[in-house]
Amino acid sequence: MIEFVSGISVVCFTASYLVALACEASRLVFRSGVRGAAMIAFGAAGLVAHTIFLVWRAANEPAVPLSSAFDWYLLAAWVLASGYLWLTISNPKTPVGLFMLPVVLGLIGAAQLSSRDPFPQSPATQIWGAIHGSFNLAASVAVTIGAIAGIMWLIQAGRLARKQAPTQGFRMPSLEKLALTTGRTLAIAAWTAAAGFISGLVLNAVNRRHGLLETVPWTDPVVLRMGALVAWLVIAAVVSRSMARQPDAARTTAWLSIVSFAVLTLSILWGVFGVTRHGVPPVAPLPTAPSEAAP
Amino acid sequence: MTLAFVGGTHRTVPLALRERLAFSAEQAAEALQRFRVRFPGREVVLLSTCNRVELYAAGESSAMPPPTEQLVSFLAECRGIDAGLLAPVLSGESDEAVVRHLFSVASGLDSMVLGEPQIVAQVKQAWALAQASDTAGPLTGEMFQAALRTAKRVASETALGRERLSIPSVAVADFARGVFERFDDKRVLLIGAGKMAHETLRYLREAGARDIVVLNRTAERAGKLAARLGGRPGTFADLAVELAAADLVVSTTGASAPVVSLEMFVAAEGRRGGRPLVVLDLAVPRDFDPRIGPRPGVWLYSIDDLAAACEANRKSRQREMPAAVTIIDEETRRFMGDLHHRSTAPVIEQLRAGWTETGAAELDRLFRRLPTLDAAAQGEIRQAFERYAAKMLHPPLTSLRNESRAGPPHGLLDALRRLFDLKE
Repeated sequence: MIEFVSGISVVCFTASYLVALACEASRLVFRSGVRGAAMIAFGAAGLVAHTIFLVWRAANEPAVPLSSAFDWYLLAAWVLASGYLWLTISNPKTPVGLFMLPVVLGLIGAAQLSSRDPFPQSPATQIWGAIHGSFNLAASVAVTIGAIAGIMWLIQAGRLARKQAPTQGFRMPSLEKLALTTGRTLAIAAWTAAAGFISGLVLNAVNRRHGLLETVPWTDPVVLRMGALVAWLVIAAVVSRSMARQPDAARTTAWLSIVSFAVLTLSILWGVFGVTRHGVPPVAPLPTAPSEAAP
Repeated sequence: MTLAFVGGTHRTVPLALRERLAFSAEQAAEALQRFRVRFPGREVVLLSTCNRVELYAAGESSAMPPPTEQLVSFLAECRGIDAGLLAPVLSGESDEAVVRHLFSVASGLDSMVLGEPQIVAQVKQAWALAQASDTAGPLTGEMFQAALRTAKRVASETALGRERLSIPSVAVADFARGVFERFDDKRVLLIGAGKMAHETLRYLREAGARDIVVLNRTAERAGKLAARLGGRPGTFADLAVELAAADLVVSTTGASAPVVSLEMFVAAEGRRGGRPLVVLDLAVPRDFDPRIGPRPGVWLYSIDDLAAACEANRKSRQREMPAAVTIIDEETRRFMGDLHHRSTAPVIEQLRAGWTETGAAELDRLFRRLPTLDAAAQGEIRQAFERYAAKMLHPPLTSLRNESRAGPPHGLLDALRRLFDLKE
């Protein structure tokens, strides 16, 4: 049994999600009585393998569970894959997988390109590290869901504006539901991203005080990209809220959500390929300098 | 002939005659009882809807189903119609054609509105009535169950019957539902009293709409309409106010010029608080100025827009026809194969019985000659005999099954009877 569980790799659940995505895409080509069951079966199989993989890593890593960039991306993918499965079961006619599964696969790809080494930590920084990671995870998931809802809103609005009946197998949720989702996720994303950024600053200060990590400078790509993302999300949420009573508010919010996702994607790419001092162990121990301001 | 059918539909029987020919549930039960007395030992199911009256009869060797003429006369007698009037408009079929026809009917391929789903329930009801009247049997049972299975396959594997075809249903299900998630918290404004508005409101009520305002030129007429539709009355003087409060407008006045101009709408727009507005303009000429359509947050559909969507749906259904026909062909072949194979059962039974009896007699003789054999050894030998018999019978039985797929295997059955000296 242990041999079987330890043998589950990223390829296992990636392949399952790919098959589920192929099933979703086939909606546009032909009808099938068994496709729904196949989609759920492959999605569930992928999620089970994904869960076992993460649990196995959490149980066997010497550091705090799931504390590497690799784990963070896989955890974000897991949250979205769970959402996909739940939405597919509750709304089998909506092709939500066409939008969610590529993001899930993209996050798995980002995980593969990221370091599997856990971020250096001590008992003093573990809680702040967990808070920082959790808020960033929540913000990323909220931005992704909001963008998916925004794209669906634009597709549905386009269909209604062209006065076309819905395409078989490609039935979108109502504009009302999608607008509600984009508005709420944008607000949640702004709050959680801000909380993630602030907790990151606190974490950096604690690290510095205890000399655990090198100080992350203000000009570090991670600080810049996170700052830019938070600034954008706050502006987008404020604009969306201020336009709430305008006739075109839903369309504006849909676009703001999509742009937020683009900003998040750029931020992730920057994080994957850019040079940073974020989460890097100190080269040499720092002298204690508690009075110095943390970035 | 094992299966027989006679019937007429909206295509062949004029409405006046169809009205006389139609059976109520009580009349159908009575007709089934009469059939049982008239043609004992036969099975029958009567399907009577507003568009068709069909009699499905079945029987085997000793009690074959009645020929078409007798079935026509029977229907005529049940409804008190001259058989001479019915004969030219009713058609009859036998065996495979009956199965194919029933499968097509149950799948909605023979319906006035292609792919309409109500026919499945009507076929189920007809079958249930025959069961209750004790006129159904194994043949009709298998045929109707196969028909319902076929209808389910057609419904799940093709898009036939998926798209809506009536303007009110398309307006509500395909467009209004595309904008709004729920209707119980929406204000519906009905302007005018066109017939199509009533049907549209019925769909909206089914979708949950409760807050309905009815506007008409005269307060009296608006009051009557509102009472009937469960809404609140108003007059055209309230139009601008109600337009600002409404979420969905159904407009069907007989006015010769637009009732809602662009200027009137723009004036109301500011008081709407940015809420989206769905307008179903079912009037000809249009009640809403078409320039209102492109305004942000407005989803305006004229009757031509909705008719075009209906027509696209109709074409989409037509495109599904070949796939549905393929399913019906497959299911018909399968059913007929099973039916033909069923006719081989007596021969197979005799063949098996002959081999079993001969084997048992030989085993008895062998065991008498070898009294020292213990029970375990006897059991082994008995099992070996049974395996041998099964293996020897397998090829002829497989040939019978394969032959049944193409039709009744009369030649093979005859050969088996002669080869193994089986009785008819």
